[in-house]
Amino acid sequence: MSGRTRIGIDTGGTFTDVVAVDEDTGEVVATKTPSTPADPSLAFMAGIRKVLDLLGLDGEAVTAVSHGTTVATNQLLEGRVGELGLITNEGYEFLLEIARQSVPDGYGNSYFWVKPDRIVPVDRVRTVGGRMAFDGSQIRPFDEAQAVEVARWYRARGIDTIGVCFLHSYVDDRHERAMREVLAREHPGAVVSISSEVLREYREYERAVTTLVDAAVKPGIRRYVSAIAARLATLHDSSATTTPGTPSRARTGPDGVPFYVMRSNGGVGSAQEVVDQPITTVLSGPAAGALGAAVVAEAAGFSQVVTLDGGGTSTDVTVVVDGRPALTTEGSIGAYPSKIPMIDVVSVGAGGGSVAWLSPEGTLKVGPHSAGADPGPMCYGTGGDRPTVTDAHVLLARIPPHLLGGEVPLDVDLASRGIHTLAAELRLAPEACAAGILEVSAWNQANALRQVTVRRGLDVRDFTLVTFGGSGSLLACRLVDILGLQGVLVPRDPGNVSAYGLLTVDVRNDYVQTAVTRASALEPVRLQAWYDGLTARADAALAREGFPDQERVFVRTADLRYFGQAYEVRVDVPAGRLTAELGASVADAFHDQHRALYGYDNRRDPRQEVEWVNLRVTGIGPIRRPAPRRVPSGAGAVRARTGSRRVYFDDWVRTDVYDRARLGAGDEVDGPAVLEEFSSTVPVHPGFRARVDEQGNLVVRRST
Amino acid sequence: MSGPHRPAQLRSGRDTGPEADPVLVEIVAGYLASVEMQVETAIGRTSRSPMIRDAHDYRAGIHDRRLRKLTGRSYSALVHPVVRDFPIETMRPGDVFFHNDVYLSEGGIGHLPDLCVTAPVFVEDRVVAFVQAFGHHDDIGGAVPGSMPSGATSVFEEGLMVPPIRLWDRGVPNKAALRIMTRNSRMPESLAADLDAECSACLMGARRMAELFERYGTPTVEACFQAILDQTTETFRREVLSRIPVGTYTFEDYAEHDGVDPPRLHTQRISLTRTSAGDPDGERLVLDFAGTGPQARGPINHCGDYADGNFLKKWLAPVLRNLADTPERMAQLDVNEGVVPLIEMRFPPPGTLLTPVFPAPTNARTFVILRLLGVLAGALAKAVDGRVPADQETIRYTGVYGTGLDGAPYLMREVLGGGSGGRYYADGEDTVHVVPDSRNLPTEFSESRFPFVVERLGLAVDSGGAGRHRGGLGYEKHLRMLADAHFMSIADRSILSCWGVRGGRAGRPFQVTVDPGGPGEREVDALADAEPVRAGEVIRIRTTGGGGWGDPLTRPYDEVVRDVLWGKVSRTGAREDYGTVVTGPGDDPRVHVEESDHLRASMRAGRGDQPFFDRGPGYATLSGGATSAEVDWL
Repeated sequence: MSGRTRIGIDTGGTFTDVVAVDEDTGEVVATKTPSTPADPSLAFMAGIRKVLDLLGLDGEAVTAVSHGTTVATNQLLEGRVGELGLITNEGYEFLLEIARQSVPDGYGNSYFWVKPDRIVPVDRVRTVGGRMAFDGSQIRPFDEAQAVEVARWYRARGIDTIGVCFLHSYVDDRHERAMREVLAREHPGAVVSISSEVLREYREYERAVTTLVDAAVKPGIRRYVSAIAARLATLHDSSATTTPGTPSRARTGPDGVPFYVMRSNGGVGSAQEVVDQPITTVLSGPAAGALGAAVVAEAAGFSQVVTLDGGGTSTDVTVVVDGRPALTTEGSIGAYPSKIPMIDVVSVGAGGGSVAWLSPEGTLKVGPHSAGADPGPMCYGTGGDRPTVTDAHVLLARIPPHLLGGEVPLDVDLASRGIHTLAAELRLAPEACAAGILEVSAWNQANALRQVTVRRGLDVRDFTLVTFGGSGSLLACRLVDILGLQGVLVPRDPGNVSAYGLLTVDVRNDYVQTAVTRASALEPVRLQAWYDGLTARADAALAREGFPDQERVFVRTADLRYFGQAYEVRVDVPAGRLTAELGASVADAFHDQHRALYGYDNRRDPRQEVEWVNLRVTGIGPIRRPAPRRVPSGAGAVRARTGSRRVYFDDWVRTDVYDRARLGAGDEVDGPAVLEEFSSTVPVHPGFRARVDEQGNLVVRRST
Repeated sequence: MSGPHRPAQLRSGRDTGPEADPVLVEIVAGYLASVEMQVETAIGRTSRSPMIRDAHDYRAGIHDRRLRKLTGRSYSALVHPVVRDFPIETMRPGDVFFHNDVYLSEGGIGHLPDLCVTAPVFVEDRVVAFVQAFGHHDDIGGAVPGSMPSGATSVFEEGLMVPPIRLWDRGVPNKAALRIMTRNSRMPESLAADLDAECSACLMGARRMAELFERYGTPTVEACFQAILDQTTETFRREVLSRIPVGTYTFEDYAEHDGVDPPRLHTQRISLTRTSAGDPDGERLVLDFAGTGPQARGPINHCGDYADGNFLKKWLAPVLRNLADTPERMAQLDVNEGVVPLIEMRFPPPGTLLTPVFPAPTNARTFVILRLLGVLAGALAKAVDGRVPADQETIRYTGVYGTGLDGAPYLMREVLGGGSGGRYYADGEDTVHVVPDSRNLPTEFSESRFPFVVERLGLAVDSGGAGRHRGGLGYEKHLRMLADAHFMSIADRSILSCWGVRGGRAGRPFQVTVDPGGPGEREVDALADAEPVRAGEVIRIRTTGGGGWGDPLTRPYDEVVRDVLWGKVSRTGAREDYGTVVTGPGDDPRVHVEESDHLRASMRAGRGDQPFFDRGPGYATLSGGATSAEVDWL
């Protein structure tokens, strides 16, 4: 190691994973430390010290830290939004109660559906006079006196986290800015989010909720980021300066270590940008995993991949096209919709702890209930009394009778007892029952993989699957068969993919502007002005983060639809001056994309006009990625063989077991086989072959 | 989908038979649900009609080759009419069928704007299943924009009728048919686009279904279909049928007007009989519609008596789910063809609201089929001591049309929901809609497209029926017109109310007022095709509140006070409906316990015997003075 190192650190439910890369040699070192949910910054610092000790370096060597956090995610998943206030237009105090009037799921459910609690109860919603129109003109002026009253009302009640959402503020934000000024004056202690800064997009209900989510996570993220920044500052003494030529420019303080936080959109932002728009971190953790998997896959020569991150309670899947994870603006975290761009993660309740049960209809169900880590699967022997996916793996001997390289022993008898009981109820043989549990679990995962691809008009058979996380690779061979995939890539250190991903991520800031215009009325000059405005904002942010002019990259996109449609399709807007021709080429790209997604387009139908809806600019500050890791050539898999045991695939069969860490590049293992490593296991089914590539990844494919 | 490997348990799980393996059944059921969702997602994202796009008035369904509906999230149309006119053996890969003709739909299509597309699924050259979708298009011609003329007296005024036709012949669209259809619509572009959306989505679904058959083989997949339907039958037998005591329970409710004749009670009546295990035809529910009123002159008739009531059985069965143990369990019960063997329907002779004779008009048949949900719920309430939700009314169309500020004609139509009824476990919910995923129009969308300002988007205070569990509230929405326009409305429950049950009171009815508080204040009839509104005038729309459940005088004071704080109940409402005296400032209301106790006691003493159902004050207006019907008493 040269003494200059960049660190990626990912906080998970159980472990905090740390990966360090040498800035000069590209050498990578990984470790993990137990998470500290009560104060995640403790494990954060413990992890940094641990990796520095491994490297024999001190804090001076750290050039930058990138972090994937679940602070905002967990807060939302647990519904801890605190006492919020909402300020909106006169006449709209019931905006949240009414929402979009939709009842989820089936027909007739309106009879028995119980609406979840609103993010702000109506008595904490206050309204202020004044009204903008959709074209940016003012119907009634802002009622300053009423605004003052409202601000004082909140102050008197000690409600100090407030969202502001006024109609049409995505076109003209003057009333929202005025409201914020009044709040700053009358209720200076309040944390405020205004909708025109969070999301400049039409649809008032969704924008209001997104703004409130931003406000709700703001205090927690601020506290957390400043706690970390303070601790990071102790790594460098006051005379330290940033080494020139490194990508680390975002400063947490005059002399702190540059600190980046992973955002939901697949980029990182400097601590300062993130604190101002904390909603951009709600999917920080899963985004890092998808990014890491995408980078590993691309280095291995796969640019079209679906990633599968298998944990204890759930499995997250994403789709990666041309090396970039797909984004969505229709995501939600727990009960809260968020219209902010985020990596399109489909999460299914199909993890190692998912419980197998008999439905009243007599079919075998798996999940979404999970035994979690506590009480855990039956085989943990910690009080779990319902059979889980892990118990099925244990019974079939697909995994060894212990976890984490032997640290945690598993009780095969307990697992077997649970599966036998369920098998008797289903009138199946125990092995058939266990295989059935895994089969249903695999199909649950397969349906999620299909969902992420199909909704983008992609055929999953064109993709390679990248599996990681503790339980991610266990069903990989079945997924290849069920979905007809090309194969599976299992990265090295599958438990560390997210932390590794953090080292590979560019700074990304997104800006959007709704500008509904039919193609026939398109004014290139006006459009150019919109884009210039967005680009200027993106440019200023990158400048603040220390990227020199020539390194800043801007990507323009637009959301288009056919006039009358309610949903848009996003297409690239190539660089260059906006002209009628450029506009036409964007419309062409839209027709293509619409056909790809939905099977038809209206290109040749002059009556079906194209409409521009949202203009978007992403500002990117590129970060140098670590060089791909390499492993030495192997001398035949047999050297990594550690023994054999009977494993049930289609039947019980004597199966060789290998220590993955001892396999070298080019080594091949034919199924049936089980490859074991510290934090994960890869069962290779009969008819499959696993090959180690030059970077140490396993590539598993059908051999027959 | 490919891959030679078949799941192990297909071979080893012999003890339940190789074909109806419980694991594979679960996998096939999940697959069907995911195909159905994909088809619906594709339609929703690409269609143009606000009725499809926003109101979500469209549905996909997957049916087996015996025309049985396999998926269970929602109702859907029927394949019967297609197969009647095009025998299965004449179908070819690439064929897509179309129909919207109500009287030739075997009861699967209720009014002409519902455009129905059917794509057969092939394994080699054999039809093995069907993927079908229908969606409510904006305009299919006829007397008025939107094809829902409230004063129609025959189906010929309601638009273009298309009997089942082969719209795509082996992959080639029939351009002549498409031209005829688009030529007959006021909105030809969006009609063509909606048809594209439905056809493309169904064909995609058909491809995915074919992959399932290719993977497991037709006999195995069909065995799973059978198992899925059998499970539904058994579940409904166990969790629904068993909860209803053997006996007969009768309830009726009414549409109040048909758009042609003056308002009167248009009776819909169900006598529900739960047969005993010893019944020669087995344990089942018999729904006898005898006593249903004569066919209306206006368009509120529904063609129910086709295919043994197959459509209506699946349409009404979701209400039965309210008998399951918990709301969570209710949501888990799918309604597919498996409910059909448990229900027998007996229709009155031709010439009633449910057995109309061609060419009786039907465009507002929701007045009948949605009301029937509540009639069945009422009959069930009598069987189970009221443990079903009070009444909800959630469909009505309101809109404005005219010439916009840009000189172009427009039609804005919105389906606004209402409050749902109180339940024995919870209050009713505000502003919900019976159609799943139906959405209201964002103000920021509608103001940018239509010439009005939405001055208020709120709840109609006091509209929820009083009860131990209050009914949900309806909307109060104010549109201020920026240009002269016409207002249209297709709504029932503007005189009658959503009933309350077991001591709960009725909710408030639907009401539209133009220029409220102004010099031109006037109420608009709930069935209005073209009420002129001038620029600057406000249209105030209030939708129905749900019925209350249980005695409002037993509602805890803190819940009444919270309702006052939230603006859902006024202080007057608290006093008069709940016997609760509320004092204190507006944002800090409190109960005056002593006065309230006293008030409740005197209210209890002052009321006599009360019927099991409360229909609200409007009932007397139409009943000739009676305040309750005979069936309202236990």
